[in-house]
Amino acid sequence: MFIEDLRNDFYNVLLGNRVLLLVHYDVDAICTCKILQGLFKCDNISYTLVPVGGVSELKTAYEENNEEIKFVVLVNCGGTIDLVDILQPEEDVVFFVLDSHKPTDICNVYSDGQVRLVYKDTEENIPNFDDIFRDDDEEEEEPEGSGLEALEATVEKRRARRAWEERRHTLMFNYTQFSYYGKPSACVALNLAWLISRCGWPALWAASVAAASHVALHARAPAQCLLDTDTLHRHIAGGQHADATKITSCRVVLEKDVWLPLYRSWSVEAALRHSPAIGPHLKLHTLAGAARLRQLLADMGFPLQQARQAYRSMDVELRRCLLSALEAAAPKHKLPAPSRAAFILQRPHAPPRPAHDIVYAILGLIEHENMSKGEGFQHALASLDTEGVSDSARLGLEAAQRSLEAVTRLVNATLSGRRLHLAGPFSYFIVQEGTPEARFVRGPLWLGVAARWASSACGGTRPLLASAPVDDNNCLLLGVPPRFDQEPRNLFGAAFEQAARKSGASVSLELLDASVVTLPTAQRPQFLDALTALLA
Amino acid sequence: MFAEKVIELLKEAERNPDTIDPFNDEKIRQILEEMHLLFKMNMNDANATNENKSLWTTVQVRHSALERNKRCLLAYLYDRMKKIKTLRWEFGSVLPPDVRELLSDEEYQWFSKYSTNLASYMRSLGQDIGYSGIDLTENLKPPKSLYIEVLCMADHGKLELEDGDVITLKRNSRHFLPTAECQTLIRQGVLKQIV
Repeated sequence: MFIEDLRNDFYNVLLGNRVLLLVHYDVDAICTCKILQGLFKCDNISYTLVPVGGVSELKTAYEENNEEIKFVVLVNCGGTIDLVDILQPEEDVVFFVLDSHKPTDICNVYSDGQVRLVYKDTEENIPNFDDIFRDDDEEEEEPEGSGLEALEATVEKRRARRAWEERRHTLMFNYTQFSYYGKPSACVALNLAWLISRCGWPALWAASVAAASHVALHARAPAQCLLDTDTLHRHIAGGQHADATKITSCRVVLEKDVWLPLYRSWSVEAALRHSPAIGPHLKLHTLAGAARLRQLLADMGFPLQQARQAYRSMDVELRRCLLSALEAAAPKHKLPAPSRAAFILQRPHAPPRPAHDIVYAILGLIEHENMSKGEGFQHALASLDTEGVSDSARLGLEAAQRSLEAVTRLVNATLSGRRLHLAGPFSYFIVQEGTPEARFVRGPLWLGVAARWASSACGGTRPLLASAPVDDNNCLLLGVPPRFDQEPRNLFGAAFEQAARKSGASVSLELLDASVVTLPTAQRPQFLDALTALLA
Repeated sequence: MFAEKVIELLKEAERNPDTIDPFNDEKIRQILEEMHLLFKMNMNDANATNENKSLWTTVQVRHSALERNKRCLLAYLYDRMKKIKTLRWEFGSVLPPDVRELLSDEEYQWFSKYSTNLASYMRSLGQDIGYSGIDLTENLKPPKSLYIEVLCMADHGKLELEDGDVITLKRNSRHFLPTAECQTLIRQGVLKQIV
């Protein structure tokens, strides 16, 4: 069931009740959670917030906290699974689902009131109710009548039923074939905040970070990303006007900025070298790569000595002309456009903070090499604060730098060592256990960054699989579709499921992103074989 | 003689206007003795010299000293009573033993009576609208917010709130709870307030 009126059917229902907030470990979910927390705090809605990483965690989190709870809000989790079936809730428990994972499970869509989907995406082609569900009881009634007619009627009915079943199968196949992402949940939450007139800078900032994350992680096609942020742009422009006179508080601005990760807290050379957007095109894994990077810097007019020192202590002139210099030099090296309109948080007496730095910082925190996920989640929430001093953002930026370095090293070593194997329709690489980088890509998010890097370094025309060890016996397998930067719909979700069935490997489809699975390392070769056979 | 002791007593009490001193038994006994003495001397003089009016001035001076003593003692007791009243609001109905020692027996009796009175008054509040009383001592100043956000630092198990809700406190889960309910847990280190 979809909610029509965000304010009356969702928020006002929660008012005055205890709420269980289950939040997935991803940037969008954390931003959404930050916005919702702000709203709940204003209205004294007491809540319990539990981060969840997968279906089984979702289940335990629900079971541990379901006492006396009548309203559960799921952020970026639960939309793609049949909630009622998996959680077995009491009759009067209501689930509000705000999930950008698509496709939405059909049982959730047609649930009559227990599962309520907060946002209806227009891009989803949800099959009609009658095509999917059918009352079976009517079928059982044998029509009374004379022998031959009755028989004919039965046969006719059976045939109709078979046709319907076939049609249902095709429809469901088409519907669930690809896994993809919808509009960022934070944009929906921002909309809600705006409807109840509580759309302040903290909410705008959180939504900006979520929007930037969908761009940076290629969750959505570029055009859709732009459309998603439409309302955000308007709110930011509106806020600008009201705050024009005083710069005493923080605010978000939309500016053209260099699309390099973390360059404000790094050096320009390091940012170029580790940028997932530019790095693959410089072909740094080749011998000529390093020379090409130096050439680029020379074309930009940046002395190496300056480019290698921290950005904040670089020559002011160079800092000022970084954007124009890079834009001028990029076409010569056949690099993609290096600048984008970026959301930047401007704070009094503090350096500006671009939204997409925080995206990487959050990635660094929730998939930290040493910190546990839960702890990282708390830090990630704190790093979204617009005011006050907290160490979390700094911690996250440092972690992100280390992780990006590891990812770069990993991909370059893989490509230069020719460890990117070709297997029929797709290529794949495996991160060996025990390598120093393996620690960094234990989680699906950083592994995804590495896989997309490898994919775009090879031209990006073939689907790509990446696998990394999770612990001693299990490994993570992640698929990137061909031309992921234009069409991020992922076919691997359904393919993994079928290959698992065929190979008999005990694959756990427990992560909410269908294109990532975990499986025992021993069964990986046979699973890959099955996948090759399936996709060939 | 002549109300010197009582002034000393008051001066001593005045030195710590915010805290309560031990009940000064010894000095009060001395003052009462002095008053008895004055009274006795007055009685003697008044009876002996019914005719002789030359002693009347003396009697009058003694009498005013007597009255002054009385007034000062009452002031001393009244001041202590006010302090004891604030003790009830600060410490609740049970006094810590070190504070209890500072009170005299009568004062402690008064304290218990006051405490009972206050408790029964607080219980009676709001009964007409269905509440079973309000704890007035809970928020002496208006709280900034009724709820605070807390992060759970350890697996603590279940916690039952006053309104009957049960929540599970597990490491790394966040809760938004009524301030009053979490104070003790914050002090124990199970929860951490997030500002």
